Amino acid sequence: MDLKDIKAIIDLMKKNSITEFELERQDSKIKLKRGLSGGASAVQYDEPGVPVIQTIAAVPAGPAAPVATGEIEIKSPMIGTFYRAPSPEAGNYAEVGTEVGADTVVCIIEAMKVMNEIKSEVKGVITQVLVENGKPVEFGQPLFKVRPN
Amino acid sequence: MTPDAKILSALRAHPAGVPGAQLAEVLGISRAAIWSRIEELRRLDYDIQAGPHSGYRLVRSPDVLHADDLVARLGRTRVVGRDIQVFEQTASTNDVVEKLARDGVREGAVVFAESQSKGRGRLGRRWISPARKGLWFSVLLRPQLRPPEATQLTIVSATALRRAIQAVTGLKPDIKWPNDILIGGKKVAGILTELSAEVDRIRHILLGIGVDVNLDAAELPAELRQTATSLKQEGGQMVCRAELAVAILRALDEDYARLNAGRFPAVADEWEAHCVTIGKNVTVLMGDRTVRGRAESLDDDGSLLVRTEHGRLERIIGGDVTLEK
Repeated sequence: MDLKDIKAIIDLMKKNSITEFELERQDSKIKLKRGLSGGASAVQYDEPGVPVIQTIAAVPAGPAAPVATGEIEIKSPMIGTFYRAPSPEAGNYAEVGTEVGADTVVCIIEAMKVMNEIKSEVKGVITQVLVENGKPVEFGQPLFKVRPN
Repeated sequence: MTPDAKILSALRAHPAGVPGAQLAEVLGISRAAIWSRIEELRRLDYDIQAGPHSGYRLVRSPDVLHADDLVARLGRTRVVGRDIQVFEQTASTNDVVEKLARDGVREGAVVFAESQSKGRGRLGRRWISPARKGLWFSVLLRPQLRPPEATQLTIVSATALRRAIQAVTGLKPDIKWPNDILIGGKKVAGILTELSAEVDRIRHILLGIGVDVNLDAAELPAELRQTATSLKQEGGQMVCRAELAVAILRALDEDYARLNAGRFPAVADEWEAHCVTIGKNVTVLMGDRTVRGRAESLDDDGSLLVRTEHGRLERIIGGDVTLEK
């Protein structure tokens, strides 16, 4: 099943006001949910109202979980808003290609005015920034990919 | 307590005066040493009179923050204010306390500055902190909470700050979600909470608190005069900063103790009772996204539930909330 198929299912769900969809095949299993923004179920989403895509075999929450490619994901320890820089005028903490150490701050997650500076927790190079500045993130959501060195 | 703190504590406990001999006995130092400490306090503008019968009597305290005096006024607390430092000027009290935190200082340490050169709010916004006009301070806490529960400190600190301001000034402050303190719709105090956490545990939390106490309108930048105010402007008289400082630390200590004793719901109820955002039409700015609607209620974790123009319920956990008039 590819992205096109998933989109088609989502369109059908929207059209028919279906809020949950589950499909199991030999090699895969997907579950789609539409609902309120900021709910606890989302693993990844763009905007409220847009369906939430959740893979059943999701990597358990917690930062720095290894992914198949040998890269490591930095995950959000809490629900909140993702900020790439300490202030709108300042430069981003980390870009693709930035060398990070375990104590390097890579972003801020804000929840109810609590500013949480997220550290890389691993030494390596940032290979991907997975969330846009100012977007809401969920507990356990991957924020960056790091190639350890 | 230092000798100065003990002397000020004794003088405040006995407004009619304390004989030098009695002070000497309590402190375990000579009467001559007491006299020289009193002289030192007079040089700091404490008006201390001495009479042959009444002994030493504190007539007036200066409008300065003096660590020994704050300790003397505060007395014993469980956690908050166990150690107090006052700087004449610093860049940001949160930066000072952050360093203390990294050095392993125990929770409860408080750092005040008479003025800050780089006082800041969230996302690098400037916090105006002119000398001796307000309370600019930071508190170090190390709560036994998981990182997502750190938002409870937002509720604890706003509740304590609101209660203390009301107790000292008699004004009626409101809380704007989640932790701004307003009087008559204008901001009078703000809290910047900075968290340092590992995956499953909080290393420390810094509460950076700014209270506009005795600022005149002219001391606020023109663009803030419509939205910000001070306790003096609202109450029509100067407020004793040291008295307010101590009341805030005591209230924080009480509410932090309530949190640690598993009574967070009671704090949250008090917070909700004074949260003026509920029932108002709001605009929420989150990065490049804007949500407009009516703030309906608070979720169990304190997040704001907003019914949008399209009838959808949005759960707001961050961003800038503006109350529509």
